[in-house]
Amino acid sequence: MSTPTLQTPPVEPAEAPPAPRRRRIPLWFWPAGFLAAVFVLAVLRVVTGADDIASSGVIGAAIALAVPIGLAGLGGLWSERAGVVNIGLEGMMILGTWGAGFFGYYMGPWAGIVGGMLCGIVGGLIHATATVIFGVDHIVSGVALNITALGIAKYLAARFFSDLPGGGPTQSPPLPSLPRFSVPGLSEQMARLEAREIFFLSDLAGVIGGFTTNISAFTIIAVLLFIGTFFVLWRTAFGLRLRSCGESPVAAETLGVNVIRYKFIAVCTSGALAGMGGAFLALVAANIYRDGQTGGRGYIGLAAMIFGNWRPGGLAAGSLLFGYTDAARLRGGGTVHALLLLVAVILLVVGAWQLKRNNRVQGITSLVVATGAALWYFSTDSVPGELAAATPYVTTLLVLAFASQRLRMPAADGQIYRKGEGH
Amino acid sequence: MRQTMKYASVFAVAALALTACGSDSADSTDTGTADGTETSTAEEASDVRVGMAYDVGGRGDQSFNDAAAAGLDQAAAEFGIETQEATATDGEPESAREERLQQLIDAGYTSIVAVGFAYAPSIAVVAPQNPDVHFALIDSTDYEGENVANLVFAEEEGSFLVGAAAALKTRTDNVGFIGGVQTPLIEKFEAGYIAGAQEINPDIEIQRTYLTQPPDFSGFGDPAKGKTAAEGMYQSGADVIYHAAGGSGGGVFTAASEANTMAIGVDSDQAKTAAPEVQDVIITSMIKKVDVAVYEFLKAEVEGNFQAGPQVFDLAGGGVDYSTTGGKVDDIKDQLDELKQQIIDGEITVPSTPES
Repeated sequence: MSTPTLQTPPVEPAEAPPAPRRRRIPLWFWPAGFLAAVFVLAVLRVVTGADDIASSGVIGAAIALAVPIGLAGLGGLWSERAGVVNIGLEGMMILGTWGAGFFGYYMGPWAGIVGGMLCGIVGGLIHATATVIFGVDHIVSGVALNITALGIAKYLAARFFSDLPGGGPTQSPPLPSLPRFSVPGLSEQMARLEAREIFFLSDLAGVIGGFTTNISAFTIIAVLLFIGTFFVLWRTAFGLRLRSCGESPVAAETLGVNVIRYKFIAVCTSGALAGMGGAFLALVAANIYRDGQTGGRGYIGLAAMIFGNWRPGGLAAGSLLFGYTDAARLRGGGTVHALLLLVAVILLVVGAWQLKRNNRVQGITSLVVATGAALWYFSTDSVPGELAAATPYVTTLLVLAFASQRLRMPAADGQIYRKGEGH
Repeated sequence: MRQTMKYASVFAVAALALTACGSDSADSTDTGTADGTETSTAEEASDVRVGMAYDVGGRGDQSFNDAAAAGLDQAAAEFGIETQEATATDGEPESAREERLQQLIDAGYTSIVAVGFAYAPSIAVVAPQNPDVHFALIDSTDYEGENVANLVFAEEEGSFLVGAAAALKTRTDNVGFIGGVQTPLIEKFEAGYIAGAQEINPDIEIQRTYLTQPPDFSGFGDPAKGKTAAEGMYQSGADVIYHAAGGSGGGVFTAASEANTMAIGVDSDQAKTAAPEVQDVIITSMIKKVDVAVYEFLKAEVEGNFQAGPQVFDLAGGGVDYSTTGGKVDDIKDQLDELKQQIIDGEITVPSTPES
């Protein structure tokens, strides 16, 4: 998820003189950046005494919470890259949880993944038919799908799970679990190193251990899907055509691209991915289907996609960030409170940098927020639960506030396309 | 394009808010079926006609509503009363609840049982309009009236006992509490649990957390959140966790089973009702006998002894208790029963709000 992230975005078609290409970020930057981030966390741990801040436990939990968000976001990315806004991700996820529950119970966990995918595709088909074929407003169709999917899943659950042993109208019987893997040798070493509580080294071991220990097979599939998405959309002719439908469908049409077909495929793929996100929730995160278990993760996936500037790498980073804040909040141990200090310091640096570049408004806003966060940190012992729960949303708002100029959505995203109207 | 993005974000936020408001039930979030009908008549029919209004989930939710239904069934079989049942739908407007109650009354049902605190506002409207009808409102004292019986439970007393059990069973002197949604009702569970654990060991470390805050009620139905929170507690040294988190509790049990530790169930005897492979980790459950409350109310109705106002079902009355299924607390049963007796005798007063 690293290298491709911050590559130069495609040159804006509208701009007359080609925008100056930004420098490529050298390869050594990523490992160095990773080490620096861990170092910051290590310092933060020592300063604040929040021991859970870089433990393998919190990293493992963050990954488990990030995968459904990431898969939903990846679904949104496919759809929006082809120019269809997909607010129906939540609904597709809900269908996916039911599909995983039904097929997972009867035919095993692998069939559960496929079942979640298929049910997600059904949602994708509905959205695609409405928006691509009939030209319905994307938001209207998506919201309708969310509401319908909720009802359908509840009906299906009540219809098929009620009489099963351990099941009920609101939940499925327990589902069989997928295999989990650890990197042999490495994860034991890391666990040992983490337990020795050496500054920085143990934190590093915790983070690496979290990424290499007890990882579900589904998580590995999700990572492969991210890499696969990048290669398909940015390295193949198919992907170029699909993205052209999101940038300028009329231009694509004049060049012989069957825009309707590409958009249709993209929205169905989107449904499949969101459905898999739902399947992950049911099969791995909870090993049970339960009404309402998606809990708005489809929307957070959408936020993560915007956070990630409609790119797979950025989306992965956004999902991990949201997963991490969620894990930190649920696990307690003062991590969220400690993160306040981190926010204060980061904003202080950003503010100073913006002021240096003569961006007065942004610079001063950052400094004011930084002071507020610092005051908050030093005057309290914990963050109230109500506010801690809002961490992912606050993060998205912060990113939108400070990076909105750099975010660039597909040019024709959300526009209704009708064949032959471009003449 | 900027326009679209603006709309998209507005809708996303609105949709989020709406989903959060969507589920409004504490112990159950479930399918909203249309009004179900069940009529039963026994040999010696009584002239009491009972209308039962369930919360979201209704009959068959293996939890709160099912417990109420069990009480109704028992009373119906014993006294031969005529019954009619109706179920709330998820996300329905307040007026729908009022209409449901009024329809039952219009159909000639004169004893109305409203299952769940969500009915309090609609009872407040319907009860004064129908002074001849008797109402039972479960889990809420938000509205009291001359023709309303508030059937509430001393959850804190039952939680005190399982808190004591946790403190006696822990080997690390570190126990946990996971609440589904931070409402005053769930805080009663927390307060009792803490008091019980500290009664045994004043220095015990108690980790506590709530999965969500109102108006986000997803904490009662998100096992992934329950599992994450429980894993965090187990990894920071806790070895017994008590959950009052409805459907999220399944995740707590999964985490306990993976970490080879102990968990405590809630509402019903979860060592019997939870998934078979995690039943082994449930050492006891705090039982809340909604069925007893409903049965007692109906019995009083049949006998013509309607009593308005709050009726607390506590340890003394057998309204709450701890379970012994699985034999995991057999070794400490004497101590727990002694504490139970002390509560019943009033030697121990259990707080119903946690110190912050």
